[in-house]
Amino acid sequence: MAAPSFDAIVVGSGITGGWAAKELCERGLKTLVLEAGRPIDPARDYVEHVPPWQMKFRGFGDRKALERDQFIQRHCYACNEYSGKFFVNDRENPYTFDSDKPFHWIRGRQVGGKSIMWGRQVYRWSDLDFEANARDGFGVDWPIRYADIAPWYDYVERFIGVSGERLGLPQLPDGQFLPPMALNCAEQVVRDGVAKRFAPERIVTIGRVAILTAPHRGRPACHYCGPCERGCITHSYFNSIGVTLPAARATGRLTLRPYSVVHSVIYDGQRDRAAGVRVIDAQTRQPLEFRARVVFLCASTLESTRILLNSKTTRFPTGLADSSGELGKNLMDHTMGGGARGVIPGMEERTVHGHRPNGIYVPRFRNVKAPHPEFLRGYGFQGGGGRAGWGRAAGQPGFGVELKRALHAEGPWGFSFYGFGECLPRSTNYVELDPVTVDAWGIPALRIHCAWSDNERKLLHDMSVTAAEMLDAAGAKDITPFVDDNPPGLTIHEMGTARMGRDPKTAVLNAHNQCHDVKNLFVTDGACMASSANQNPSITYMALTARAAAYAVDAMKRREL
Amino acid sequence: MNRRDLLRSLATAIALPAISGLPADPSFALGRRAHRRARAGGLQVLDPHQSETVATIADMIIPATDTPGARAAEVHRFIDLLLAEWAPDDDRRQFLEGLADVDARARAASAPDFLTATEAQRAAILTALDAEAQERRKAQRDAPPHFFERMKFLTVYGYCTSEVGASAELHYEVIPGSYDACTELGRWRAAPGDF
Repeated sequence: MAAPSFDAIVVGSGITGGWAAKELCERGLKTLVLEAGRPIDPARDYVEHVPPWQMKFRGFGDRKALERDQFIQRHCYACNEYSGKFFVNDRENPYTFDSDKPFHWIRGRQVGGKSIMWGRQVYRWSDLDFEANARDGFGVDWPIRYADIAPWYDYVERFIGVSGERLGLPQLPDGQFLPPMALNCAEQVVRDGVAKRFAPERIVTIGRVAILTAPHRGRPACHYCGPCERGCITHSYFNSIGVTLPAARATGRLTLRPYSVVHSVIYDGQRDRAAGVRVIDAQTRQPLEFRARVVFLCASTLESTRILLNSKTTRFPTGLADSSGELGKNLMDHTMGGGARGVIPGMEERTVHGHRPNGIYVPRFRNVKAPHPEFLRGYGFQGGGGRAGWGRAAGQPGFGVELKRALHAEGPWGFSFYGFGECLPRSTNYVELDPVTVDAWGIPALRIHCAWSDNERKLLHDMSVTAAEMLDAAGAKDITPFVDDNPPGLTIHEMGTARMGRDPKTAVLNAHNQCHDVKNLFVTDGACMASSANQNPSITYMALTARAAAYAVDAMKRREL
Repeated sequence: MNRRDLLRSLATAIALPAISGLPADPSFALGRRAHRRARAGGLQVLDPHQSETVATIADMIIPATDTPGARAAEVHRFIDLLLAEWAPDDDRRQFLEGLADVDARARAASAPDFLTATEAQRAAILTALDAEAQERRKAQRDAPPHFFERMKFLTVYGYCTSEVGASAELHYEVIPGSYDACTELGRWRAAPGDF
């Protein structure tokens, strides 16, 4: 029997797969979306409103099952008793790494992918970022500039709904914003204190976040229950299940096939094109093939690269579309965890009502105008303020009525800055196929080689200094700078390994996320990134995906593909 | 960062996105079964004397006031579940040794055991345990927590995540509906994101 044939295949149904599906379907293509994991039914699977007393371990989780099945995933804050089911089983999905270079690969395999549990922070890049490689010589120059992607940021933001404050900063361009969420009492104090001492260089603003603060395209505003990563029955934050996949489905051109683990891309050497993909059915273990005129890999940074590495041919002995030899190289993740915390005195009679699923943001201020003497590039801060709640009681002396009173959120106001720094692209951070290890479906696993360089360590240290300075400017007490030692991967902003670039000799993808070597094969997830900037990357992946899909359909119409 | 570290950090600062990871299997069916077993009186680790001792200590840590206390929230059953199905063997052993030590202290004060000691004797025992726990925490941060630190943590956690504690004391509200960034103290309510 001939393999089922479509106009387009999209591998993955998460942040970028959903966007590819929507754009390709809306532009007229009969599109097959292949998702390795199971389908998600929001009514059954979302658990954001389940109270703690209905959870067996009240949020502690099943320690033994975690240690057995999610020994990597459990490092992620969101992999808890509620939303742990949205993270992979590490025994079924192994990977290897050098023992002295741990890498935490956090993954979601289900319809919606990690868009269910993502952090929802969305920050545009600017030419400070797109020109960074050209400026200091790390990596290769981006083949695009802000002007190329700006209309696509607009397009994506208008569709998904992003709330935030306009600041007019060149290094963090404003977007199409819904009204910003409010800064709480402590955050207002810190904002004002920082402005007084450091304006206009350092600015505290509310996080820009893919959460609705007003009704938007049929989706209601956030109701402030708090834990978005457990799902959202009202679709008030963006994920692909509630927003992009329904748009794709509405065209009548979408076929979504869960339990479809993509093994490799089928390469037609005669036509020099991708002919389709090989799939292993996750439930039956049956090998299957699907054909299409164009293939979009949106399987997540490292999964897309893994598929290409596993698609070797005689012409491409190191992996499909790897004539440059750059496939797998230049892995990046944001370095995270330099910062400071402190107590904001006063305001004892004030509190908050509602759980705002968002924090503050401090846009990058290092190496924006004057070059820093010690390090390249920069970082931004997230974090926020609040009053210590019931957890405070467990640590304080005494027992009885006094301690019971401490259960209320009436502790002192605290505030934390938590930095996210840019990671330089380096060829020594790379992935390859492990020669021995295979996953539960017999597909070779990745071997990851990744470590921070001195530049990232210097950023972390500087974060702890500047965060403490800002707390001091805000009049904070008990200021505690810190530098958390987080391994790469844990920020879950892994990027690179199939970079974009103008020259086919040094880059896997061109300016339209199209493989230089295989013209009808596109990679639009984080694998495409030529540098990492310091902003949370998902909005850039979405904009690049929409842009690449429009380009692909136009090229098909021109009969170039 | 483990949950204990998190709670410690919350005591001085704020909810950074970092709670140590947990399970793949929040099956409600399982949860309900465990619930039924607990209600039926089926303790898994604690014997009736130990369970009553835990319930009594818990209720001294979080007593009934104008709202119910830890005993009404059945914190002792939650602790039994964690000892049975969650705690590593060493933690369970240390906890049970700690309970035995509570009775030993009562005997040292000439009472048959903790449960039959006078109210004043019990309070004195807990006061001494609390001071030791605070001392150990200051002196050896990396040492296993003192029995009473663990007991207090489990009591606070079990109480605040119980239906009784979360509803009556923390005014648990599933859908706040809006975010008031700086409002009067009395308006605070626990929301799903606090757990």
